[in-house]
Amino acid sequence: MERRNFLKISALTGVAATLDACHAPDKQLIRFVQEEYLVPGIATIKPGICTLCSAGCGLEVRVMQGDAEVVRNGQTGIIKMGLAKKLEGNPRSPVNKGKLCARGQAGLQVLYNPDRITHPIKRTGARGSGEFQEISWDDAIKEISSHLSTLQTSKSTNVLAFLARPLRGQRRELIEKFLKSFGAPHAVWYEPFDEAVLRQANLLSFGHAALPTLNLGQADYVISFGADFLGTWNSPVSQSIGYGVMRQGWAGRRAKFVQVESRMSQTGANADEWIACRPGTEGALALGIAHVILSEKLTPHATASRTGAQIAGWAAGLPEYAPQEVEKQTGVSATVITRLAHEIARSGSATAFIGGAPLAQTNGLFNALAVNALESLVDTNHETGPILSFTPDVPTNVAVKPDPSQSGLASLAALAKSTPQMLLLYDANPIYSAPAATKIREAIAKIPYIVSFGSFIDETSAQADLILPDNAPLEQWLDGEPESGSTQAFVSVAPPAVAPLHNTRPMTDVLLGLAHQLGGEVAKALLWTSFDAMLKAAFIPLRTHAGSINAKTDDEFWPAVQKDGGWVGASTGVSPAAQAHSGAAPSKTASDVKREPEFAGSASDFPFYFQPYVSPSLGDGSTANLPWMQELPDVLTTAMWSSWVEINQKTGTRLGIQQGDLVEIQSAQGSLRVPAVLSPGIAPDLVAMPTGQGHEDFGRFASERGANPLAILAPVTEESTGSLAWAATRVKITRVGGPEQAKLVLFSGGLSGFPHEEESR
Amino acid sequence: MSHKWGLVVDLDRCTGCEACVVACHSENNIPTAGEDQAARGRTIQWIRVERTWEGDFPNPKVRFQPVLCQQCDAAPCEPVCPTYASYHTEEGLNGQVYNRCIGTRFCANACPYTVRSFNFFNPKWEKPLNLQLNPDVSVRSVGIMEKCTFCVQRIKSAEIQAKAERRELKDGEFTTACAQSCASKALVFGDLNDPNSEVARMANSDRATKLLGDLGTKPNVTYLERGNWQDGTNS
Repeated sequence: MERRNFLKISALTGVAATLDACHAPDKQLIRFVQEEYLVPGIATIKPGICTLCSAGCGLEVRVMQGDAEVVRNGQTGIIKMGLAKKLEGNPRSPVNKGKLCARGQAGLQVLYNPDRITHPIKRTGARGSGEFQEISWDDAIKEISSHLSTLQTSKSTNVLAFLARPLRGQRRELIEKFLKSFGAPHAVWYEPFDEAVLRQANLLSFGHAALPTLNLGQADYVISFGADFLGTWNSPVSQSIGYGVMRQGWAGRRAKFVQVESRMSQTGANADEWIACRPGTEGALALGIAHVILSEKLTPHATASRTGAQIAGWAAGLPEYAPQEVEKQTGVSATVITRLAHEIARSGSATAFIGGAPLAQTNGLFNALAVNALESLVDTNHETGPILSFTPDVPTNVAVKPDPSQSGLASLAALAKSTPQMLLLYDANPIYSAPAATKIREAIAKIPYIVSFGSFIDETSAQADLILPDNAPLEQWLDGEPESGSTQAFVSVAPPAVAPLHNTRPMTDVLLGLAHQLGGEVAKALLWTSFDAMLKAAFIPLRTHAGSINAKTDDEFWPAVQKDGGWVGASTGVSPAAQAHSGAAPSKTASDVKREPEFAGSASDFPFYFQPYVSPSLGDGSTANLPWMQELPDVLTTAMWSSWVEINQKTGTRLGIQQGDLVEIQSAQGSLRVPAVLSPGIAPDLVAMPTGQGHEDFGRFASERGANPLAILAPVTEESTGSLAWAATRVKITRVGGPEQAKLVLFSGGLSGFPHEEESR
Repeated sequence: MSHKWGLVVDLDRCTGCEACVVACHSENNIPTAGEDQAARGRTIQWIRVERTWEGDFPNPKVRFQPVLCQQCDAAPCEPVCPTYASYHTEEGLNGQVYNRCIGTRFCANACPYTVRSFNFFNPKWEKPLNLQLNPDVSVRSVGIMEKCTFCVQRIKSAEIQAKAERRELKDGEFTTACAQSCASKALVFGDLNDPNSEVARMANSDRATKLLGDLGTKPNVTYLERGNWQDGTNS
């Protein structure tokens, strides 16, 4: 017997004896043999994958030994275990290269959140009442598998539905394989700010149904149409790294950055030139610039082949988009349009891209195709290579590509209509994040049996009959294939950084276990006993491809991939965008795509455009339960712990609204009340509001705080993708109270009239 | 060779993303105040990002500026402390000895950069949020003044490690939490006494300036001015 094993056994025997003699059950020592070898006071660095947005940055988790109060087998006690102490970026990730954003750092507070569900629970009260009781894993699994068995014998195909936040990689593969072999339809992948419109446009323009990778470090000129690329859009950390280089990375060379948007974002605040453009006319502005470049022959590449072919009238030099015409549509002066065109053409290396609100219009696809055409026209520097490209595919089928047709509001509506007998819910919260007008709450309430894998009670999982809490991301095997942000193929994987704190199990392992129990086709499709075995099987074929890891055998390869936190493909030397530029034009062109934006609500009844925007800290609301994120001052307004609406200063004066006043925002679908923030960085006919607050039910830090702008949106979509057009609602605003009713907390400038009780220490 | 720790803030690279703010909270066990205390201005931030609005629609201009303890060589906070809780270390840091601090807040009054925070209440981490606490940094209690330490725990551990291995500390071997997170490389930390270090080179840039430099506080934090684009020429 090894010395270590001997010590373990004698220790365990000792503990058993101690436990027997213990009379204070809440102070009992459960065990003191560590699951892993950690030296007290010495940090171990482990790889991880950030899940706080979809960019898929690599993590380095600083793990140290500590004492944790846990419940094991119904007993409370203190054990020594590895604890995550700090998150940094993984330097080996080609996406974030060792860097990590504000939201990513707060991943620790997902893991150690006091509102996590610590064990399986079963509903006892009415739906949504929040009354649950503890149930053992065995009983929970038995219950769900008996439900599934019953459904399996039913002849109908629509009996089982799966609703999740969009995923890539093996978790998606696992879910889809389970559903397919069960005979259920595809999963519904829903998030309010999905990028289906941009993927569809990039498929038409460049032949890639993906988000773009931007090599901003090589740019001399950047024109962004609405994309908050330094804050919330696409791959912000990767883009911020490039931004630093384009500003001061080269001696004697500093790129110009132009931002087109109607509400100044954190990104727009950094622009050299900020251009306010009427909402929904961003595509027209891009074509106005292209018109000048084409008609004055400012660049040698006047065709833009495939992307240009998407735009009717491109070959003829866009006669409808002369600067004077475009000025009438966009509100941007013809002089500025002409000047921009000349500046762009003169620069050595330019790029144009689109993101955010312009895509969330009813004509979002047209806006995207127009900006893509401008991009192809100007991003033609052959020495540096294109600024905009697409992350190369991983050479094996390790990662599953999302199908654009399976996302968005349309698929959510289809789910509601199909009335399944059972719903599996994973990390999606449509009752909060879909407009109330979609009636998704009512549709979900009608489903007879709902099982959630959520770590928290939120608006949607509060409806569940059974909650099987997932491990926190840092407590489980994860993989990811970042869609963008890397110019090399990249697929990431990370083993658990720390052991589970609570009595939770990974959704992946639970699903594999259920497949095994169900037997038949489902068991045949999912042979793996645990998710790490499935990951290993998916990753092993990469060994023979040129990449970051040289290993002679599979047994060497797999640990090496885990240690690095992923596998990076060798540069192929062929730029994916270059392939796209030369690709054959598809049959469908943008001539049959809607060009003019349409808004829900008449301009006379609802005089203001309403623009919800993704909060840099709270995202779409899924990180609102993290105290660091709640207390992070919004960088433009310094607001924290609050909701607010941004109103142009002059508009405020006209309507008698002052900073901090309580304002009612009313759309045809509903109304909400929030404090006003007066800002010079917003168009006079627009009001904007950050998302993330207004949770009814999402733990102690987020519940009953502020208001949710998504709730009052009209359920209008971009037609070709069924994606929610979240910037296409009109509203009216009225002052309904002073600051004492409004509750706006600012980091700077304090707050008058905010009610608070005298504190006691 | 003795070290002189310094930080450069390149305002042309700073995007205002506030990754530094959360990184600092995480590294240095900075508590969250909660809504009510935050409304009374009692949040603690060792580094904050200030913004300045200029102009009006349609041509508003915003400038971001991260502000943290400037680690002054002639620090106004030090001589006013009756208990020598604020003192100057041999490596040029403005140290703060929590055990000596009696909470007179004279130092906060004296600091022209308003980067010192007072603990108005005992910090609270609702279980199990306490498990995120960094064991290398002490938690401060009510009545104590605190501020940026340039991540002194990281400095010390790197110095001890280098000493144990009988070698010189190399530039870039470690950095502060804020600089480590900063994606656009707006924050660069290092040894100003090492002429080859990145921070020393950047501190000599012709864009270099000191915050409220005319006060003569001799800060060890250097700001690099924003570039401009005017009339088609970039400078």
